[in-house]
Amino acid sequence: MKMMPCPLNGLRNISEFVYGGEVTDMPDHTTCSDREWAEYVFYTDNQIQVVTEWWLHAPSSYWFIAERHTGSDEILRTYDPSERFTERVDFEQTEDNTTTGGGSGS
Amino acid sequence: MSTHQRLKAPMGLLIDREKTISFEFEGATVTGQAGDTLASALAANGHWLLSRSFKYHRPRGPLTMAGQDANTLIQLPDEPNVLADRKAAAAGLQVSGQNYSGSLRDDKDARLDWFGRFMPVGFYYRTFFRPLGSWKYWEKLIRRKAGLGRVNLEVRPDYCDKVYRFHDVVVVGAGPAGLQAALTAADGGADVLLVDENPLAGGALSYHRFDSEGNLADSVRTRLIDDVKAHPRIELLLNATCNGWFLDNYLPVIQGNRMYKVRARECILATGSFEQLVVFRNNDLPGIMLCSAAQRLMKWYGIAPGQRAVVLTGNDDGYHTALDLQDQGVTVQAIVDLRPAAEAADIRHIATEKGLTVLSGSTVYEALADRKRQHLRQVDVRAITGRGTVADTSRLIDCDLLCMGSGYMPAYQLACQAGARLDYREERAEFSLTGLPPHLHLAGSVNGIHDLDTVLADGRRAAGSVLQSLGLSDAVAEAVTCSRRVNVDWPIFPHPRGKDFVDLDEDLQSKDLVNATKLGYRDIQLVKRFSTVGMGPSQGRHSALPTARLVAAATDRTVSETGVTTARPPFVPERLEVLAGRGFDPYRRTAMHHRHVELGARMVPAGVWQRPSYYGLADRRDACIHAESEQVRQRVGLIDVSTLGGIEVRGPDAAEFINRVYTFGFLKQPIGRTRYAIYTNEQGVVIDDGVACRIAENHFYVTATTTGVDRVYRDMLKWNAQWRLDIDIANVTSAFAAVNLAGPLSRQILARLCDDLDLSAEGFPYLAYREGTVAGIPARLLRVGFVGELGYEIHVPALYGEALWDAFMSAGEPEELRPFGVETQRLLRLEKGHIIIGQDTDGMSHPGELSLDWAINRKKPFFLGSRSVDIVMARPQTRRLVGFTLPAGTPKPEEGHLVLRGDHISGHVTSCEYSPTVGSIIGLAYVGTDQAEPGQTVHIRVDGGSEVTATVCTLPFFDPDNKRQEL
Amino acid sequence: MSDPTSMLPDQHPRRSLAWRVWAASTQSLAVKSEGLVVQQAGENDSAMAERCGLIDLTVLERTGFRGRQAAEHLESLDLPVPDAPNRAAVGTQGETVLRLSARELWVLSAAEDDGQHVRRMANQPLPTKDCYALYCQHSHAWLVLAGRYRAAVMAKLCGVDLRESAFPVGHIAQTSVARSNAIVVHHQWGRQPVFSLFCDSASADYLWEALLDAMAEFEGGPVGLAALV
Repeated sequence: MKMMPCPLNGLRNISEFVYGGEVTDMPDHTTCSDREWAEYVFYTDNQIQVVTEWWLHAPSSYWFIAERHTGSDEILRTYDPSERFTERVDFEQTEDNTTTGGGSGS
Repeated sequence: MSTHQRLKAPMGLLIDREKTISFEFEGATVTGQAGDTLASALAANGHWLLSRSFKYHRPRGPLTMAGQDANTLIQLPDEPNVLADRKAAAAGLQVSGQNYSGSLRDDKDARLDWFGRFMPVGFYYRTFFRPLGSWKYWEKLIRRKAGLGRVNLEVRPDYCDKVYRFHDVVVVGAGPAGLQAALTAADGGADVLLVDENPLAGGALSYHRFDSEGNLADSVRTRLIDDVKAHPRIELLLNATCNGWFLDNYLPVIQGNRMYKVRARECILATGSFEQLVVFRNNDLPGIMLCSAAQRLMKWYGIAPGQRAVVLTGNDDGYHTALDLQDQGVTVQAIVDLRPAAEAADIRHIATEKGLTVLSGSTVYEALADRKRQHLRQVDVRAITGRGTVADTSRLIDCDLLCMGSGYMPAYQLACQAGARLDYREERAEFSLTGLPPHLHLAGSVNGIHDLDTVLADGRRAAGSVLQSLGLSDAVAEAVTCSRRVNVDWPIFPHPRGKDFVDLDEDLQSKDLVNATKLGYRDIQLVKRFSTVGMGPSQGRHSALPTARLVAAATDRTVSETGVTTARPPFVPERLEVLAGRGFDPYRRTAMHHRHVELGARMVPAGVWQRPSYYGLADRRDACIHAESEQVRQRVGLIDVSTLGGIEVRGPDAAEFINRVYTFGFLKQPIGRTRYAIYTNEQGVVIDDGVACRIAENHFYVTATTTGVDRVYRDMLKWNAQWRLDIDIANVTSAFAAVNLAGPLSRQILARLCDDLDLSAEGFPYLAYREGTVAGIPARLLRVGFVGELGYEIHVPALYGEALWDAFMSAGEPEELRPFGVETQRLLRLEKGHIIIGQDTDGMSHPGELSLDWAINRKKPFFLGSRSVDIVMARPQTRRLVGFTLPAGTPKPEEGHLVLRGDHISGHVTSCEYSPTVGSIIGLAYVGTDQAEPGQTVHIRVDGGSEVTATVCTLPFFDPDNKRQEL
Repeated sequence: MSDPTSMLPDQHPRRSLAWRVWAASTQSLAVKSEGLVVQQAGENDSAMAERCGLIDLTVLERTGFRGRQAAEHLESLDLPVPDAPNRAAVGTQGETVLRLSARELWVLSAAEDDGQHVRRMANQPLPTKDCYALYCQHSHAWLVLAGRYRAAVMAKLCGVDLRESAFPVGHIAQTSVARSNAIVVHHQWGRQPVFSLFCDSASADYLWEALLDAMAEFEGGPVGLAALV
């Protein structure tokens, strides 16, 4: 069984973890096209490359980010999401009831 | 059977000469010594016939004496296909042969052997498929004739368990390389586990001869084992099979009824190599065995493997076998050396000095059986004239034992499972392993190292690399090389009359493999699938190398290009009960669980929970549910809703966060009020629902579905890891036990237990939230109406849950309070037209289909599903969830039954029950948008294919003005 | 106190969810924190507790805090705050402080007292922001596995190396035990170092049975509080 280095709990069996999908940047949901939104929601690159993924250590309910190579399955780095998401995200209401904002912290 | 004399010590390392044991084989009593395997005890009694072959029912005897072949498969009462050369002989065992008709000695199916030439490989596939369906007839017959043992379906599994272990270094194989590697690694400071599948350590040192005098092996073995046993950092596990290699050195090691799940930082494979057969006619007769098998019989069990022997060899090891035999009083008729005379001058000289006859450049071309056709009687030896060809002149030599060895194949299985490649080195006619992953190492003959001193050096080298990798040493280990050649390149001598077996498990002859290539199966993987080569219990240990050579020659490629088939775990067959272990199957029980059981509840699983379905006997299900529902509608009932999920969101941004994940508006939700909360994911699909209570300005308590809460909680944590709002999110599902007290009389029961709240309709109205004390327990109270009656959901800290239940059941006696179960609750909510997420919704259900538009706030800037909901709602709708009714007495549709539009499917039923309150069958179903108008009729196809006509109606079915829940 | 029939746990409002699995076969019970715990399980409690003994301490007091101010809050209450996540420390009154993450801390009552320290602490006002009380008293069951075979027992249930060399006193593992999530704490409690296991309170029955099954080969079984304190 593969092992995963958890930033909080150390090296653990992969069976303690839940995959949470790739880390993606949400487009501005008020201005993007339907196609852009659909691509954000449904599509992944599926290339042989280093991908950035969400992983959850289930026993401690701790989400973190892992960089993994999809070819070798090697996990190159794991880190706390606060390293990547540093700013509060807001979805602000505008005067005419349409909205701005969206996107992610980095 | 007569008992034969055992050879004197030091032969018989494994047996206890003082202790005899008896067991039954094929109805006769067999006596052996403690330490014997079944096969050795039988051999000690002169009984060499152990089994009948898979296809032709040919007699078979010991081949490897190491549990590496299918010849020794026998039947125990509770277990088929047991390896007789592995299974320890134990008093009272009842052992029989398998796969025969009549008896093992007199197998009526042995005549199949004569018809063998009419049954080439692929015969079944190509013969029995016409006419269509005929295979069904033939299959039964063929499976009866060709097969293995019988499974006892009555057998109860033993207690089997699994234990995790953690080591710096795991060494697989306790032969010279493994012992030495373990010692060097442990001396360097590593904690070492040394694993061997045999009952004794030493590997080849325990049976093989490494010098002409015959002293070296014992002295080296004793020294290494003494050192290993005395070493505080080495643990030696014997009778323990490392049955696979999994990622990051995760190694299942099976010892008896226990599987160790071993995690090694570094792993050294010192798994040795498998001695290889020579392919010639009748090379499978009992009495023909590998050189190493004869040596094991002598050294391990003190058994002379025959009286008159011929040794057929492709290397110097065969000479050592001959010397061993001679030392033990076996007459060695001849050493037949596959190599030309020039290649073996030194060892040949030693043999001749000892009075042994050597026939160089020769092979056994055919083995001949005794009168009963069950044992070797004579070999036909011929000079080799070319690759696989022999001279016409034959020399017949009488013998009852033929020891053969054409070289070695590395025990590559674990290494290849780890991703290593096998490359064929033409100059040595040997496969070698390359491309191991990090932290995995080879040592000894699996690494192509054969001379004893180089094997030991290779063990030290592997341990050196390991110590370096562990940071325990800076020294760079130097490579070890071994120039000794042990393999001959073509030990295959096809015979015009066949029976020259390449794969004994599957009865495959050399021509079968060549024919497979002629039929177009050129790739080794296809050859395997067509011919079944390597698919038997020995998994190609002895057939992979000759197959690769034959296929390479037949397809004009190199052996490296041809390769071998993929090695997969397990290395040896493993019992399912060992894989299952203790079978951990977690369950959760609410604080009130045992009260339900005491009250006669039928418990049903709900995710990992167990919940009361209804209270009463299973054969009165409908009556129980109807009585419980009547109780709630007319008086009062109590249901355990502890399994309901609970999530707390606290902090300055709590309202903002709830507003982003749920569809309604929550920013202005008043404190002390509840609000229906629908969770849509980014795809706009409804995946959960619940009730959001605003406890304080910065404090929300949200319920979630029993099976959905974990996902919702994880999603919430993940979203806030990105949004970084100032909140704390906690899953408090297990922290609260809860009941729903429902029915027109519920207020008066609650009033008896709660005196610190104004329970009047004005003081505690519908959809309000209060905190108070119930039966002395601090409680959260929600006035919600899932079942559509006056009712209270009461949440208390979990440790008080049972006390709360007890308090209600006794306080409710005057009103004849009764518990009700989940099935009843489902009926009651269905009468109110309330959906259950996951039952009435699927992976495509968006709020529009569910008529939940009212629960979406379109003014707010964002919620998770907002953009997707906008997109799907703007497109033409295809289906809608509606209520339908059917007159009582109509065949009742079940969940999943189809709704039709003409000949086409337009939807399906999601919930359906007979409602005694409404007086008809009621249900929810997806129908086409053109079928969704109340009053329209739709056709539903029910069990048996008949159709019923249902009427679409407005929801709810009961109390349309919702007066009852607002009392 | 010695007659178990007059002291069934269901005569007390606060009950471990697993009380039935131990109450019937126990010799004597003791009132602790408005509930009952086993005082003496059988004749050989002491010997059992030295090999491997199991006790359900779910009703005993514990509390927890989460938030950026949680550590400061505990320090203001004179409790030691371990400097890294997944470490435990023992305070002067015998309370064990668990640091489960940078911002989450639990406090377990001492073996010797009746939980009054933790109760008092739970009633102290919280900082006005960034410190939230947790519900670990009710969300989690508290089982204690004592004895020299404790790591060997856990090796049958848990894929983390819990031997002394890898998991000394003061360490915490949040992991899966018998395929169910649990927090394993190695700490001195009462007279000896023990593993405290915190699982979902609704899983206590399940984990109790799984532990007893794993303990059988070491001749372990339920023990009473008297054998530990």
